[in-house]
Amino acid sequence: MIKFENGRTVGRVIATEALPASPHQFHFWTATDTDLGIGAIVRVDGEGGRTVYAVVTDAKAYSDLASPLHEVVAAEGDPKGLTAPTHRAEIRLWTAAVLRHVPEEPLQPVPLAEVRVADVADVEMALRMDGFVRSESPTGIPIGVYRAAGLQAPVFMDADFVLGPESAHLNISGVSGLATKTSAVEFVLSSIFQHFPKDKGSVAAICFNVKGPDLCFLDQPAQLGQEDREMYDVLGIDPVPFDPVHYYAPFKADGANLNTLRTHEDLIGSVTPLVWGLREVLDYHEVLLSRDDIDAKSDAFLDFLADRVVDKEFRDEWGNTHRVSSFADLERLFRAIFDGLELAGRGDIWRTHHIATIRKVRNRLLNISTRCRGLVTDDGSVSDLPFGDFEDRGVYVVDVAGMDQLGQDLVFTRVVSRLREHLERRELGVDHIIVFVDELNKYAPSDGPDTYVRKMLLDISERGRYLGLVLFAAQQFRSQIHRRVVGNAGTAMFGRMDMDELATPGYQVFSQATKIKLATMPKGELMVRHPHFTQAVFVRFPRPAVLSGPEGIKRFPPQVDISFQDAIVRQLTALDRSIAPAAVRDLIVDHHELDVRRAFLATKRTHPQDVLSYFTASLPKVVRREPTGRGNEPVTPLRVTDDPYAS
Amino acid sequence: MLRAGGTIGPAATLTHVGPPVSKPFGSADPVESQNINSIEVGDAGGVPETVAFVDGIQRYAVEARIGVEPIVRGYVAAAVVKRVAGELVVVDQATDEFLVTALGRLTEEQRAILTGIGLRIVDSGAQDRAHPIMDVRQAALVVERRRDQLETALIERHLVQRRDTWLVVDGSISKVAKSFEDTDARILGLIKSHETQFLEGADLQVAVTLPFGHRTSVFRRGSLSHGSVFSWYLRLWPWEERELLYGLVRIERPSTEATVATASQVSRWMLAERAPLSAPDGRWDRLFYPIQQVETYLRAQLGSWW
Repeated sequence: MIKFENGRTVGRVIATEALPASPHQFHFWTATDTDLGIGAIVRVDGEGGRTVYAVVTDAKAYSDLASPLHEVVAAEGDPKGLTAPTHRAEIRLWTAAVLRHVPEEPLQPVPLAEVRVADVADVEMALRMDGFVRSESPTGIPIGVYRAAGLQAPVFMDADFVLGPESAHLNISGVSGLATKTSAVEFVLSSIFQHFPKDKGSVAAICFNVKGPDLCFLDQPAQLGQEDREMYDVLGIDPVPFDPVHYYAPFKADGANLNTLRTHEDLIGSVTPLVWGLREVLDYHEVLLSRDDIDAKSDAFLDFLADRVVDKEFRDEWGNTHRVSSFADLERLFRAIFDGLELAGRGDIWRTHHIATIRKVRNRLLNISTRCRGLVTDDGSVSDLPFGDFEDRGVYVVDVAGMDQLGQDLVFTRVVSRLREHLERRELGVDHIIVFVDELNKYAPSDGPDTYVRKMLLDISERGRYLGLVLFAAQQFRSQIHRRVVGNAGTAMFGRMDMDELATPGYQVFSQATKIKLATMPKGELMVRHPHFTQAVFVRFPRPAVLSGPEGIKRFPPQVDISFQDAIVRQLTALDRSIAPAAVRDLIVDHHELDVRRAFLATKRTHPQDVLSYFTASLPKVVRREPTGRGNEPVTPLRVTDDPYAS
Repeated sequence: MLRAGGTIGPAATLTHVGPPVSKPFGSADPVESQNINSIEVGDAGGVPETVAFVDGIQRYAVEARIGVEPIVRGYVAAAVVKRVAGELVVVDQATDEFLVTALGRLTEEQRAILTGIGLRIVDSGAQDRAHPIMDVRQAALVVERRRDQLETALIERHLVQRRDTWLVVDGSISKVAKSFEDTDARILGLIKSHETQFLEGADLQVAVTLPFGHRTSVFRRGSLSHGSVFSWYLRLWPWEERELLYGLVRIERPSTEATVATASQVSRWMLAERAPLSAPDGRWDRLFYPIQQVETYLRAQLGSWW
C-alpha cells in the first residue's frame, strides 16, 4: 500500500456530466493502493489561491469487467479454475462533501485539480476550528483525534456551543455495549473540566447512574494502554480520574443498606444517602401521580395540603394541632379528619373537600412512601444534594440504578428542577451544570404520554443554554427520542449504530458508505456533528482515565446486604476508620431505627471531625435498662401440673 | 455434414466481399517432425514472473486537401508494459505525429505553408496521377510503416536493456529477427490474424482444426530476408460450432533448438494468459488482456483524437 505523506497528492478531481463537481460535493480518483478512507479530510487547491476542504463520504471501486459472464468464461465455469496472471484495471472513485471554501466567496464548483491529504493545519481549517482555537480567548474543548491516512490531529468543540450560550447540549447515540456511549461522555466531561476556560465561569456535572455500576467508579484510576496515553498527549488532556466526585444513593427498602453497587468497604464512606421527606415529594406530586388518575378536585386538595398544612401549625375542627413534616404526621392528620368526621356525623365534606377525594389523595400519597421506600422516609429525615454549594469541576453521581421507574422519575425531576431554580437565582454554586442522563428514550420518548419528565427535558433543551443548564444525554435509538430534544442538541455523537436505526429518516443525510461505517464502527470511534463542522467527522477518543463499571465491580466487589445495625456500623466506621464497631453497636442497641438513621444522616451531612461524638450527640437520650439481678432468671410457675405438654 | 467428416459452423450471414488479402500464402518447413502434428500441451500455467508486452496504435485523418491532394495527419504510438505481481506498469513508450501527402504534386509555396503548421511532413510517394482514394490509402500505409518502426525500436531497445524479461509482441517478430537470430532471446510474437497461410494440404487442416489446448508441431517460416523464426499454431478456446479460426493464434519464437524444446511449456503459458478476458473487445478469443491494456493506455494518451 502506498503511504502518503500528509499534504501529498493522493488523487485528482474528475467531473463528468453524470458526476459533476458542485460547490458542495465532488469526485476524485486515487491509486488502488491507498490508505485514504471514509471520513478522511482532503484539500483541493485551485488556481487563484482558492482552497477547498472536504471530507470523504463515499467510495466506489470497479474494474473494466464489462460483464460478470466474462469472468465465468475466463475461469471456464470453475471458481477455482484459471488464475489470472494480470490484475484487471481498477478505479477507486471517491465522493467528498465540501467542508469549507477559502475564500468563502464567490462560492463556485470545486476546481478540477489535484487532491491532497489534509495535514494538522488543514484539519483545523477544514473544521473551522481556527476561529475558536486560535482566537485571543480560545474556547476549544478536545473531543477526539482525527485519524486518517497516517495523520493524527486533535479535534475541538467550541465551549460556547457546548455549554452555551450560543448553543448547548450533547446527544450521543449507539447500540448498547459497542457504541461506548458512557465512556465517551466520561472522556468529554474530563476534557471539559480540564479545558473549559476559567473566564467562562465554573462548571460541574450531575450524572444519573441509571443502570448497573456504569458511573460508580469515576474517582478510581484506570490502567491505560500506550495508544490511549498517546491520544491523551495529542489532545493535551491529563489522564486522571475526576476529583472531587460525590456519590448519592437512596437506601434500599430496609432503610439501612444503600441502594448502589458502590458498597465496597473502601468506597462506601464516600456515598451519601439520598433521603427525602414529605415536602420534597409533595412539590413534585405531578411526577408521581398520574394525570389520568388525579382530577381537579384532587389537585385542589393537594394544593391545600402544600399551602396550608405541610410544615405549618395546623388546627383542625376538633381541637387538635398538627405539624405535618413527614408522611407519618400526614397519616395522623388524615386519621384525625376521618375520625372527626365520623364522630361528628357531619357528612362527607371537610373544608369543601369531599371525603372520597381526601381518601383518594391519602391513598396515593402514602403509596408513594411505600413504592419509593428507601428514598422517601416516613419520619421526615432529609439528606439531599448540596444545592447552593456545588463545587467547580465537581462530579455528582446520583445512583438511581436500583430504583423503579417512578423513583427514578422523581429523583430526576426534583434534582433537575432544583438545579434550574438555583441557576435562575444564580445560587447553585457554579455557573454551568452538566446533567448526564443515560437511556434518554425512557425519559423523553418521541411517542407515549406527555409526562412531566419529558416536559421538563424539553424545557431544558430549549431554554437550558441561557441558564447554564446543559443536557448530556445518551440513548440507543435517536429516532425514538423527542425531536425537540435531539434537535436542540448542538453537538451530536454517533457510536456503532444498528442498521435498522440507520434506515430511519433521520439518517437520510448520510451516504450509504457513511451508514455502513457507522454500523461497523469499532469501540472508541465516534462520528461527531458540531455547529462549526459543515459535515460530520469521525474521531477516535481514548479510554476514560476512570475505572469502568465492570472493572470497578471486579476490583471493588459490592458487599452483601446486612442488618440495620451492621449497616450503620459499617457506614460510620467507613467515615472514620478509628471507630470501633463495638462502640457503635453499644450506642445504637437501645435506640429506635428512625432515631439512629436520623442521627446517621446528620453525621453524614455534617462531616464532623469527631464522627462518633457527633453521632452520639445526635441520638436522642434514652433511659437505659439497668440490670436488676433477677431480670434474666426464669419465673417459677404458679401451678404445677402433670400435663407433659404444658412446658 | 458430420457424417461426411465435416463440422457445424456458426452460419453467420454476410453481405459484402471482405477486403483483399495482400499476402495469402507463405512457405514453411517442418522442424519438430516430418509433418505437422497436433500435440496436446497440458494444463494452463507456467507464467513467467515478469513479462512485458509491446503494442502500438496508429491513427490518421484527412485533415485537408490542397486541390485533390489529401493532407493526412498521422499519429502513431507504441508502448512496452511490464507486468510485475499482476500489475501493469508502462516502462517504455514512443509517439510520433506528422503530415503525409504527395509532396511531388505540391508547389514550393504550398509546401512552405504546410511546413508552417509545425508538424513534420512525410512524402507518401504517391504516383503522379492523382486518385482521391488510392492517395489516402498510400498515406495510410506510410502511417502504418511508421507505427511499425516505433514498435521495432521499442522491441530492440527492450532486447538490449531488459534481456531477462520476457517480451510478448502483438504481431510477428520476423521484422526484428536479425536482432536475435539463433539466440535464446526471451521474445515471443503473438499473431492473431491468419491472412497469410504458411501450411497447405493436410498440414493446414491439422493446424486450423486443432482441438482446444493443442498446438501444432514447430515449423520454420520460409525465407525471410531479415532473418528466420520458428512458429506454431495454438488453439486457445474450443472452436466447435464457431469459425474455424476462433481462438487460434500463431506463435513466433527465435529459431533455436530451445524454442522447439519449450514449445509446449510456452503454449501452457499462453493458455494461462486467456484470463482475464479481454472482452468485450471483438477479438477477445485471441487478444490477451495485457496487450489490450497497452492499446487502452495508448488510446487514453491520445485523448480526444481517436
